[in-house]
Amino acid sequence: MYRRNGRGRLLLLVFIALSIIIITLDFRQGDGGPLQSAKEISVAVVAPIQRGLTTIFRPVGNFFASIGELGSLRTDNARLKAQVEGMEQEVKRAEALEDDFAALTRLSKLDAPYTAGEQVFAQVIGLSPSNYRWARFIDKGTDDGVRKDMAVINSDGLVGKVISVTPGNALVLLLIDPKAAAGARIENRRDTGKIQGNGEDQGLSLELIGSNSEVFEADGVVTSGQDGVFPPGIPIGLVDQISGDIRRPDQQIIVQPWVDFTALDYVIVLLDSRVEVASERETK
Amino acid sequence: MSSVVKEPRAPNVLGDLGIGRVSAIAAVIVVASAVQSTVLSYATILGVIPQVVLVVVMCFAFTDGARVGLVCGFFAGLLQDLQLPEGSIIGLYALVYTLVGYSVGQLREFTPEESVWTPVLTVAAATAVVEASYATLAIMLGQEWVSLTFTAKVIGLVVLYNTLLTPLVFPLVRKVADRFRPERVYRW
Repeated sequence: MYRRNGRGRLLLLVFIALSIIIITLDFRQGDGGPLQSAKEISVAVVAPIQRGLTTIFRPVGNFFASIGELGSLRTDNARLKAQVEGMEQEVKRAEALEDDFAALTRLSKLDAPYTAGEQVFAQVIGLSPSNYRWARFIDKGTDDGVRKDMAVINSDGLVGKVISVTPGNALVLLLIDPKAAAGARIENRRDTGKIQGNGEDQGLSLELIGSNSEVFEADGVVTSGQDGVFPPGIPIGLVDQISGDIRRPDQQIIVQPWVDFTALDYVIVLLDSRVEVASERETK
Repeated sequence: MSSVVKEPRAPNVLGDLGIGRVSAIAAVIVVASAVQSTVLSYATILGVIPQVVLVVVMCFAFTDGARVGLVCGFFAGLLQDLQLPEGSIIGLYALVYTLVGYSVGQLREFTPEESVWTPVLTVAAATAVVEASYATLAIMLGQEWVSLTFTAKVIGLVVLYNTLLTPLVFPLVRKVADRFRPERVYRW
């Protein structure tokens, strides 16, 4: 009852050839070219739908999550009100301290902390549709000052960096992606190295440079600021497991990140992160 | 149909596809892609996202045959490729989905009865093949990859999740496919 398969096979060959041509183009070009504009168009088509779906379904998800907590809400409310009173005082004190600190930093010519520059808050509207890549679409783009290679954090620590950007959206590569890497340093010590993603729930791998570096479990790991992307001092995580000899290259250091990458709703893009590194280089 | 058929003996490659039908199928694929990257990220099983776009492609292949299946597969795969961060191979999902769209469409002609179990079982088997071949091809082409145990876990869970989604997606796709089906014009 259906058509013969002859033309179907021809059509199949045509589209297989097309796919292979696209794969080849991708290998040849890397960044830019027609595939880049195709990418931007596809994001521009899907992003508005993502944004709509996120607006509709996030409250629903949150509603179901909070049903179980109804009973404790009233007591929580009272407790939180009291807490806010206290915190307002704290904020005033902190503001005064911040002013002093800024003055001192200027005097002593220290690097400004990464939180000092301009930031933009962004909502996560979608994620990379593959199970082997970890990236998030956010609702801020070049119109809001977001550029490629800017650092992205949240209140817990380093989230990742912006890898592509359109006028209204940007794609953030998470630190847990196997292709993501950042210059890292053991907190309070000089030992530097590189941190690399392993996928979700697999921890991050830390590779230290130099054979006389020391590392212990529960050491804090922060960005080193030596990779030209991330400003120094952003918290990454805690050293969780160390296996093998420190003097051997096959040593494995697993770092547990602070950020919960499965529950990213809002992130902060550090707009000054690139500029800061550039000016640092000029002065040196 | 409003489109001009140049020669009645040599119909266009897509057969009896009308404009309304093409846009309906395209809309389903785009929405499925957006759903996969938003809503379903709240409903993951152990952190694994179901590949609902793949399910949609296979359902179209089931209702409309190999040719529609492979064209849907190509464009849906390409859309998915274009949503990925750089470092993934663009065109790989397009290739794999084209092949699966064609194969499922061919397979349908050997399944006589109209039971909902046939598409469900087909999706289960085909998802396993698709996920395994995508992983193999990506590793062979030198993409940075996660550990193999993780890959195996992901493949298992995606098969489970896709299988569970098929009874929901298939009637929906069939409705769209039937609604916009123009009066069949058979040109042999």
